Order: sequence, then structure tokens, then C-alpha cells
Amino acid sequence: MPPTLGSVNRLAGTHVYIGTIDVATPWQIQARAARFGQYVSPILADFDRYWSMRAGELQAAYDHFDDLDLTALDPAHLWVTLQDAYAFHRRAWFIHFEVMYVLTANYLAFYALAEEIGLEGSQVSSFLAGEQTFYGKTDEQLWRLAARARELGIGGPLRAASPREAISQIQAMPNGTSWLSDFNSFLATYGQRTEETCRIDTPSWIEDPSAALYTIGSFLAKPAGFDFHAARAAAVAERDAQIDAARGQLSGDNLQRFNEALASNQAANFAWWNEEHNYLIDRRAAIPARRVTLELGARLAADGVLNAPDDLFYLFKPELFGVMNSASGNNAGPKWAELTAMIPDRRAYFEHWRTRGPELPTMLGTIPDTVPDPIMIEVFGLSGHFLQTLKGAGGDKGEATAEIRGFPAAKGVVEGTAKVITTVADISKVEPGDILVCGGTTTEWTPVFGIITACVCDTGGSLTHAAIVSREYGIPCVVGTAIATQVIKTGDRIRVDGRAGTVQVFA
Amino acid sequence: MPDGYAVTVDALAGWLPPAARAELDQLLASGPEASTEHPHRRHHEHEAHHRHLALVAGRAREIIEDQPLPAWLADAVAAAHARLASRTGRGAALKVAVRSSAAAEDGASASFAGQYATYLGVTGLPDVLGAIRRCWASGFSAHALEYRRRAGSAGSSGGTTIEDHRLAVGVLELVDVRSAGVVFTMDPVSGDRDRLIVEANWGFGESVVSGQVTPDHWEVDRSSGRVLAEHVSAKGSWSVFDDDAGVVALRPLPTELAGQASLSAQEVGYLCQAAVRIEAAADGVPQDVEWAIARGLPFPDSVYILQHRPETTWAPGQRGAVPEDRDPAPPAAPEPDPRAPDPTPDPKAPDPRAKAYDPVAYALRNVFRVPGA
Repeated sequence: MPPTLGSVNRLAGTHVYIGTIDVATPWQIQARAARFGQYVSPILADFDRYWSMRAGELQAAYDHFDDLDLTALDPAHLWVTLQDAYAFHRRAWFIHFEVMYVLTANYLAFYALAEEIGLEGSQVSSFLAGEQTFYGKTDEQLWRLAARARELGIGGPLRAASPREAISQIQAMPNGTSWLSDFNSFLATYGQRTEETCRIDTPSWIEDPSAALYTIGSFLAKPAGFDFHAARAAAVAERDAQIDAARGQLSGDNLQRFNEALASNQAANFAWWNEEHNYLIDRRAAIPARRVTLELGARLAADGVLNAPDDLFYLFKPELFGVMNSASGNNAGPKWAELTAMIPDRRAYFEHWRTRGPELPTMLGTIPDTVPDPIMIEVFGLSGHFLQTLKGAGGDKGEATAEIRGFPAAKGVVEGTAKVITTVADISKVEPGDILVCGGTTTEWTPVFGIITACVCDTGGSLTHAAIVSREYGIPCVVGTAIATQVIKTGDRIRVDGRAGTVQVFA
Repeated sequence: MPDGYAVTVDALAGWLPPAARAELDQLLASGPEASTEHPHRRHHEHEAHHRHLALVAGRAREIIEDQPLPAWLADAVAAAHARLASRTGRGAALKVAVRSSAAAEDGASASFAGQYATYLGVTGLPDVLGAIRRCWASGFSAHALEYRRRAGSAGSSGGTTIEDHRLAVGVLELVDVRSAGVVFTMDPVSGDRDRLIVEANWGFGESVVSGQVTPDHWEVDRSSGRVLAEHVSAKGSWSVFDDDAGVVALRPLPTELAGQASLSAQEVGYLCQAAVRIEAAADGVPQDVEWAIARGLPFPDSVYILQHRPETTWAPGQRGAVPEDRDPAPPAAPEPDPRAPDPTPDPKAPDPRAKAYDPVAYALRNVFRVPGA
């Protein structure tokens, strides 16, 4: 985008902090603006065709990698396949950011237009709600599997036991194998996802279905189930009513511009894509490289070079590629023994930083007054209010504040009991009827929106995952509060007003 | 590149005898000036304007083609042609392509490509000399005149003069083409610079370039060289050289070639590498590269790069280079010379002013706050 070179990663241990790289020189901004226009205009002119090409390319690659029988490949072929999988990973992320910037620009232009013609910019995302996504379908399937487990009388193990025990217990039950085969065919379609983005070391649901089983268990705790058709119909009706109301306020040129901007955003819809693309990119792009790496690791472990197949995840890519190249006689690179000696320390380092995760501060370094990158503002929520609140919160963490303000992300007013969750690993602690208070959500949090009554996040803007999903589920949501997880304690009585963007804490 | 020689801009600049030159200048200065100022206002003005252009073009070519090349120029061409016949080992049987290239052509801002004639399969010195004259004359076709007027290369008068007519002619050995087509060093649909697009058919490249067949299509990842997508189309027809008519003509593709890929994987890879090198030599500006594969030569000697030009659809400054008048022109007058079919020059881009809202312009101005956007 013209005013920014994107983001830069700063690492605190294994945790990634994202910083902006602002473009300061006017000539660069001008040159980037010209290139941006030439690049984006044709894509927006026919987004459907463009995205189907990109999605088709990704799907073709997955079909290729999924069909490979890795155990049958000879060593040279396996090494080539590993390089190929890494090359694909890079390509997938190129597509990710290409589409992301195009759609964000389209959305932000609509946002700016809305403000110019007398609407609220924050309404724009609600004009774009109600689209079916792959993750919406996943949740619907999980609810269906929960209902079927109840019918077949096998809900007990799913609610009580750990996932691994649950599977063996269900297998022993009369209707168990029927449900498990249903569950496995669900995984074949919907299980090509890891629990985190950009993490080659995390398994897919097919390898480890714990997350899916946990979710089904938590749905069983809410006997009414969740009526997806009613929720979607309500989201669509609400969206259409908002669009009609906006049109009612407009006339002439403003109305025409509104209609054109809306049509452009309906065709190239960020709110839809933000959820949809996770299936094809964020949660899947690393799976081919992961599978090939694990096959290579298994062979090396069998030869006694490694202790465990997943040791390879603790090497940097240049280390792994260097030792593989030198093993195939291409150059003098590192030796396996030098690399494997470092692996125990690296495992300990990862574990140390993993446990530190929840206590790390929201931002590091000097907090600016504003950031120029619209993605940082709308997706990650670095609004002026957020930054000011974060500065103010520096000294008196934990002190009770009667009212917290944030970005009004999804309308509705709900009063209830807060459940503060700081890591996705604790998501199974969320119970039906809770108000979720968290740092921010990503795809793996989506199923929980079917059981909570409201959502409050430290970070986020109008395009944040929690904001989009709350609108789909029809629950109030306030994001970008900066301090909710510090001020609110689990068990607090709170009142969330999703239209005003406020959270009252009664303690 | 096929072997050949060139007749330069300067060699051709002063070849017309003074009398013909004066007549031509007078002809070019004439015309319904009112309609050239606002040709988009009224349809009948369009028609009058284009009738006039066709008249000017027809008369200009009569004037030019009546003039023999001056002896010094004809001698120089004869010597160059004899050397080419000897170098290629073809002797009197040498077949050449005679093609024109305007000095203003193929600039990065507005495409002149295809406005000027190409003559294929020319044999013997007299025909070569005639083709060189006709190539030069093709600079005065109705299409070329209109195109230059719209692209503003003729200066503020809105017309064109003989001084603007800076044209060179290339004479190249006609390759016995097995397959031909284009490499784009950028996806022309999406603008994605990470991938190269190869389009190919059996026979001469005309069937691909003119869009008369659905060509075979490859998408290649720039960095890894991996083929990301391959589509072998049924094709159905191909461009072949018709010796009797002296033109490349579209004919039904023999059934044994239909459905068969017109390039090997090795050739696709080689063409992409060559195109990337050409792009680098062109300061990194994305290019479309026309190429042909000769029959009967070993790979990679069989690969000929014919020409390349910037991908003007995507190059900077396009909007500024196209004048305010963005109305599509009415169908142009038929060409008097059937051997020089010119494609219609007008870009089919929709007029952005027809819409009240352009998301990209809006984002640049109101979101990114780019000064002057």
C-alpha cells in the first residue's frame, strides 16, 4: 500500500510482534500509488475470476501434495519434494497478501466514502455480513456431529474424557463406529487445518483431532444446539435492513456512489474472504511442508541421526537445506552432528517462551500516537483510542475501571459473567452463556462463538476476526479496548454494549 | 533472432522526391479540422472524420508506391540482401519477412504495435524493394494516422506531417515455423509479476497474437521455473504460410496436431528463461516476447526470439498518455491493400468516467491520502 511497506516482525523469544514500516518520502508514495492503482484496478474489475484462478492454483497444489505417497519416495525425490513444498508455502503467502491488500483497499475506500456521505464508517462491515464461509460450514458440521452423538447416546465420553480416551471409549460403544466413521469423513474435508498460523510444528486436525472433539464436547453442554439457518437468515436480514436504512438517507450522486461501492465490496468482500481464506492459506499452507519434513525426520530417526522425527522443526530452514545439500554432495555445509547437538536447547527455549506467552505485554517499545497503515488500524486495531488507552494503562494495571471503551464491532447489549481467556489452549474453559474476554481471536476460536453471549477483545478493529464472526453469530462485540483482559477478571459481572462500543464492569 | 538487415530511419527519411513530398504534405494538412477537435461529440462527425482519413491514407499510399527507391538506397539494399542470401545459405530461394518499425513505436506509454505492415515470404530483390516501399507507406494507413493523432505523437496540431513519419524497415529471414506464440513476463490478467504466461500454437504466431484460436497456455512460477498450470487446448486452426497468395493464412489444423501440446516442457522452460533475461535487459519493465520455433533445427538453435515490447497495458503513465477522448472509435475504413491487414487500434478499456465511484482512486485519495491522487 502506498503509505506503508507492510510489517516487520520483531521476535520476543518465539513470539512475533508486528511493527509497521512507514514510507516517508513523497516520491516513493507517489510511485507506489501509481503501481498500486495499476495492479489493483483490473483485479477489482473482475474479482471473482481473479480469486477463482488463485483458489484453483492453491487447490491444485494441495491435490498434488495430498496425493503423494511420501513413504514410497526415494531419498532424492523426497528432498526435491521438500524444496517444492517450501516453494509452494512461499507462493501461498504471496497470494495471501496480494488478495489481502486488494480487498482491504476496497473496504477502506468504502469506509471513507461512507463517512464522506454522512454514514458511520463502522457500519460498512455490517453491510458485508452474512456470507457463507468454509469455516461457517465447519462449525455447522461440528454442531451436526454433536447432535448426532447425542442421538446415538455417545455424548458422555465426548464431554467427560480427554480426546484420545474419548475415541477409544466411543469405539467400544454400540453406535460408536458409526459416529466415528461420520467424524472421519468430516475430517477428510474439514480437517486440513492446523491450530495456528505459520506453525509447521503444529499438527492438522487429521493428525490430532483433539480440538474438534473438544468443540463437539462443548456444544454438547448446550443442549439446544445452534440453529445455523436461523442465525444466517437473521444476519442477512439485519444486513439488508442496514443497507436499506443507509440508502434511505442518501440520494442523487451520493446514492449512486454508495451503490457502486457496495457492489464492488459485495463482489470483492473482505469480511467474507478474511474467514474463507484461512482454509486455503493460513491454516493449510504449511501442511505439505510439515508432512514432508516429518517423513524425512522419520527416516533420519530410523537411521539414528535424529532422536525424533519432529527434531527437524528445531532447525532453521537454511540449516536444514544446507545439510541436505551437503549430504547430496553439492557443497560443504554443516554436518548433522553439529545441528542435532543444538536441538535439546532449542526445544527448551521454545517451551520457556510458550509458557511466557500470556504474560507478555500487548505492545513493546515506544507507543506512537497514530500509525499510518490502515491494515494495522482496521485488522489489528491500532486506533488512536487504542494507543492512548494502552499508554494510560502502563502504570496502573489491574485497577478497576468502571467503563472500558473500544470499537463497536457488532451491535446488541448483553449483561453476564466474564470468562477471561488469554491463550487458545484454554478455550475449553469457556462455558455456554459466558461473555468471552480475550486478547483477540483467530480462526481456531470460531466455534466458541456458538456458545458465548458476547465478546470483548483487547485488540482489533472493524475487520478483526472477532468482529466479523460476532456479526455472523448475532452477538454483541467490542474490540480494541486495549485493557479488557487486564481490567476484567473471570467471574466479574459485565455489561457489553456492542453499538456504543462500551463495557461496564460491575465487579 | 532470425538473421537479417535493417533500412534505418535516416536512410528512409529523405527518399521521396521533392514533388511527391510536397503533394503528400499538402494532403496531410487537409481535413475536417472541426471534427478532429471533438470527434466524440457526434456520431456523424465520426463518420466524416474516418471517411476523410481513409481518403488521405489511400491517396498517400498511391503517391508513395508510385515512387521507385533512389538508386543509392536500392543498391545498398541489394548488397545487404545478397549477403543475407549467402549467410543463410538459401541463395535465390531466400524467403524474408519485411516489417516496419516506427521510431515512436513500442514506447512504454502507448502501444503503436501492429499499426504498420509486415510482408511475409517475400522472395527476390524486386519484391523486397517493393515491400520496403509499402512498409514505409503503411505509416499513412487510416489506422496509423488515427492512432498517432489519438496518442498525440503528432504534436499540438492534431494532424500529422511527413516530418513525424519516422519509420525503419527490417528484413529478416522467414523462419520455417513449427510453433510460435508469446511469453508475457507478467500475468496480463492479474498483473502478477511472480508468474510468466506462455501462449502457443502450431504454425505461425499470427493465430495466437490475433486471438483467432484458444492457444495452449502455461503459467510458470518466475523464481522456481515450476509450471503452475498447463492447458493444452483443442486449437482447431493454425496460421500457415500460403506461398501462392504470399500471406500467412488461418487454416484448419491437421487432426494429428489438434489436442497435442505445441511446445515441449523443455521449450517452455527455455522460453521463460529467455524472456526473463530480455525483461532484465529492458530495465525490468514487463515485456511480451514473440517467439517462434523453427522446424528441422536442433533445440535450442530452433528457438527464435522475434520481437519484444513493454506490456503497455500495465506500464506507468498509460492514463496520461491516452488523450481525453476515450470513446471507442467506429469501425475503421477497409484497407486498400489486402496484404497489410491492420488490427483495430482502440483500447477496449471501459471509460472510468462512466462510473461515479472508482474504489482504487478513492482509496488512494481518501484512505492513503496520496497528494494529487
